[in-house]
Amino acid sequence: MKFIKKQIPLMIVMVVGLLTLASYYVPNKHSVDYIELLSKWENIVMAFAFLLGLISLFYSHYNKISRKTDGWGYSLFVYIGFLGMVVPAMMNGGRQMVDGRLTMLGWSFNYIYNALSATMFAVLAFYIVSTAYRSFRIKSKQAFVLFLAAFVLILGKVPLGQIIWDFLLGWTHATVSEVIEWIMSVPAVAGKRGIMIGISIGAIVTSLKIIFGIERQYMGKD
Amino acid sequence: MLKEKLEKFFKIDRRWIFLLLAIVLFAPIMKPIGLPNKTISRDAQNAYTFMDNIPAGSFVLFSLDYDPSTRPELHPQAMAMVRHAFKRDLRVGVVTFIAGSTGLISQIFAKVPGEYNKVNGTDYVIFPYQANYAAVMTQMGSDLYGIYDKDQDGRDARTLPVMKGVKNYKDMALVVDITGTSILDQWVAFVGDKFNVPVVGGVTAISQPGYGPYLQTKQLKGLLGGMKGAAEYESLIKEPGKGTSGIDSLNLAHLLVLILIMTSNIILLIIRYL
Repeated sequence: MKFIKKQIPLMIVMVVGLLTLASYYVPNKHSVDYIELLSKWENIVMAFAFLLGLISLFYSHYNKISRKTDGWGYSLFVYIGFLGMVVPAMMNGGRQMVDGRLTMLGWSFNYIYNALSATMFAVLAFYIVSTAYRSFRIKSKQAFVLFLAAFVLILGKVPLGQIIWDFLLGWTHATVSEVIEWIMSVPAVAGKRGIMIGISIGAIVTSLKIIFGIERQYMGKD
Repeated sequence: MLKEKLEKFFKIDRRWIFLLLAIVLFAPIMKPIGLPNKTISRDAQNAYTFMDNIPAGSFVLFSLDYDPSTRPELHPQAMAMVRHAFKRDLRVGVVTFIAGSTGLISQIFAKVPGEYNKVNGTDYVIFPYQANYAAVMTQMGSDLYGIYDKDQDGRDARTLPVMKGVKNYKDMALVVDITGTSILDQWVAFVGDKFNVPVVGGVTAISQPGYGPYLQTKQLKGLLGGMKGAAEYESLIKEPGKGTSGIDSLNLAHLLVLILIMTSNIILLIIRYL
């Protein structure tokens, strides 16, 4: 039983993992066909993952409604929102416009999804500005450096800032765009590159651990 | 006494700040000030130059991966770049890995092709949404019809005139990814580097600094950042749009942020030395 539940899955992961890894570096017909097949499988699995996620979402919100937990009324909107998009999509065959006119799906997209999604994101701007006023205070040397970099970037990102810079600091003969370019291509790139290298090494190590069966959390507890 | 009064400023009701920002954002939309877009950034200029030098008739793949949440910044970028492609008589293919993007793509292609007398299937093609970008990007390296055998309208993709001679990345002159996600990183890693395809990006202003390493190594040929990037591209193609009209609001909002930050720090300094 242990062989079926543990050894075989580990073996499949190792073989598939090594083959996929090798296919990246060996460009011949077999490896291309293999990757093609795997890509198709991956897409099919992804579709089932969506379905599983949907069932899980519905189930958890159904529980909230049936138990009348705090805020259960909001859970109703999960179903309303879902039906508000899916029913029109099925009725219109996924088309949002026919002969230049909005279908029901197009209407739902423009006037429900579009509006709600944009509103959620737009609200962030208000919180960011309020937080900037309350929290962006220079209390240390590091905070001062951060403030200086942020100040120049914010100023240089908009034409009005560039005009102000030229008016106040034009005598230095350095434009704000040049200063921004230096910040972006020296300290910012150095930091970002360090993060990217760190993440990549972490991903490689984790992948190798999965391929060689050291990391087995994906198999569950049994 | 003064110290206490100043400290009150720190505890100001945040709704006053919200109101101030709302005024600053709405006023220029209602009555544009017309502030000039003073400079064109190097990365936006590079993106424009690259697209401008592609021979007419070449195939350019657009991956439009943003949803309504990032629409104000990215939709004008997409509009401007698609306009430029049509202006240059390039063939355009569109894919997306974000479900919420499909409606926005419909909006672009309901409007822009008509301005240049471009026909669906002959000059451009829109492929259906696919969820798994890594698998799709890899698959398109060998045969894109393995994933996209039909276009969005259910027509056989192989028989469309716009797809003539296009089988994989080798037949594409450029990949443009406009996204509010990290999908651009995957286009660079899975496609640009591996298949030697030029990649140009369009991202939100907040994620723009993160692409410095790719720009330095020319893994990205150009990059548009936020609404300013859209405005820059619009001025390069001489087609002012939503990016240009939004720049007034952007100007004043940025200025407001700076004034607020400076005010709070000046108050802090006064309190500290009082």
